[in-house]
Amino acid sequence: MPSNARAATVFVAVVALLIALPFVGGDYYIYLFALVFINVILAASLRPSLTCGQLNIGHSAFMCIGAYTSALLAKNLGVPFEVSLLCGALLAAVVGLAIGYPSLRLRGVYFAMVTVAFVEAIRLIASIWVPLTRGNAGLSVPKPSLLGMSLATRTSQYYLALVLMLIVLVILYKLERSRLGLVWKSIGMAENLAQSLGVDIANHKLLAFTLGCFFAGVAGAFYAHFIRFLFPPEFGFLLATNILVYNFVGGRGHFAGPVVGAVFLSLLSEPFRGSPYETIFFSIVMLLTILFLPGGLITLPGKLAGLRRWRPTSGTYAPPASA
Amino acid sequence: MPLLQARSLTRHFGGLAAVSAVDLSVEEGEIVGLIGPNGAGKTTCFNLLSGFLRPTGGTIVFGGEDITGFRPHQVAGRGLVRTFQLTTLFQDMTVRENVLLGMHLHSRQGLRRLLFGRQIFPPDEVTGSDEVLEFTGLAPQADQLAKNLPHGHQRILSIAMALAARPRLLLLDEPVTGMNLEESGHVMALVKTIRDRGTTILLVEHNMKAVMGTCERVVVLNFGLKLAEGTPAEVSTSAAVIEAYLGAGLQHA
Repeated sequence: MPSNARAATVFVAVVALLIALPFVGGDYYIYLFALVFINVILAASLRPSLTCGQLNIGHSAFMCIGAYTSALLAKNLGVPFEVSLLCGALLAAVVGLAIGYPSLRLRGVYFAMVTVAFVEAIRLIASIWVPLTRGNAGLSVPKPSLLGMSLATRTSQYYLALVLMLIVLVILYKLERSRLGLVWKSIGMAENLAQSLGVDIANHKLLAFTLGCFFAGVAGAFYAHFIRFLFPPEFGFLLATNILVYNFVGGRGHFAGPVVGAVFLSLLSEPFRGSPYETIFFSIVMLLTILFLPGGLITLPGKLAGLRRWRPTSGTYAPPASA
Repeated sequence: MPLLQARSLTRHFGGLAAVSAVDLSVEEGEIVGLIGPNGAGKTTCFNLLSGFLRPTGGTIVFGGEDITGFRPHQVAGRGLVRTFQLTTLFQDMTVRENVLLGMHLHSRQGLRRLLFGRQIFPPDEVTGSDEVLEFTGLAPQADQLAKNLPHGHQRILSIAMALAARPRLLLLDEPVTGMNLEESGHVMALVKTIRDRGTTILLVEHNMKAVMGTCERVVVLNFGLKLAEGTPAEVSTSAAVIEAYLGAGLQHA
């Protein structure tokens, strides 16, 4: 079976399972998987920027902006959920544009340092601007609604998260498989060559970065209305590195990498969620991946298949059949 | 008026003048060679012309437009495209994808195509890439990854990518480095054909045989200064040039 058809089959099967989940799993699983979907959006939305070779260690800042914008609009002005989600995502994108424009000209580690500083700045603003955000006392948020209907049950919120995640993934996948995606990839591979062929690398990086900020804003807005309580320290540096770790552990060579990484790590770290062990767990997984699977989890099936082909039978080496 | 005219082009790195007050002009339809000993400032010159370095002095006029201080993609957009000395390719992409990315300047894509298009590249771009691959002889390897090509083919691919951008002036930085006699002969023949099809060429090369056999005019740099200029025959008999390459002592020997 060609790899595209196989990927499509896997995708449809997974979506079918996820649609069926609320009928088989209890409330706990519904809640857990909705959180996983948020992480998947966050991880996938970092990918365009990583593809361009930009190390963004501050992605959670844009989730934070989306979350607070959407929460405050809904709470203080009674703005419907879908509108507040869009506003949150747009503000995250605008702030991303403003931060990205000057700093994307910096290379490598300097850009990464700007993003680290930025995520701390946003977290501090959320903590200190008490009249607006209630600071570290936390902000309670109304339930989500859709087209005027309140989505009060966890099941309905789960489906909302699923649909949001699928929309974001389809858009990002389409972009990655377009000419634009190839240009992003080319910038990540050889920036000077891309420039010499007429690619405006600054604008392309900015587009990739801003787009990522937009979708992080979407994730934040949904998160706010799902958890219904915002607490600034949750959006700090730690979450930002987790998003990055999803990408590296899942694998950067394929679109499914960050998705696999986010699902794998979110589910596996669930027993430690919110405890200091979570960080230790993430570090260990990250180290093991770098040591034993530098291409990420996404390369694991290929490696296993390779092992199976190498060992067998007559002792004569048969070249692997091309996939 | 020349296609490319650089006037008193200068670039300092701290106290070092890598290129100082070099005048360089290239007429439409020429093949011009830029030669000189190691460290003479040839590649710095290329970096200045293609926008990868900003000159600290002087002006660059291309096609009647002052392009001094333009950024690389803007220079490429005007039709001045370069290749690199170290083989620079999109290694993990196929040969065809490399060439298609070379056509970046000439592709127009709306959001609709990006999100709903069935193919990544419109048919006319694929046809265009086929033509370039055919012309450079890379068609049989079109679907291989660039990193799996042999060295000579990789060098040719980098020329093919630059060609795909349909330049008016092509800057080739050591196109035959590391090639054997047969390969370099093939590439220099290719360079002549490219010129005959209407692209002006300025090239840096250490392989003297290739330079002397191909270029109509040669500019010699030494220590960042222009040392000599003329036909290959004039330059290769110039005392100053021989001294720069072989050292002064040889004349007395």
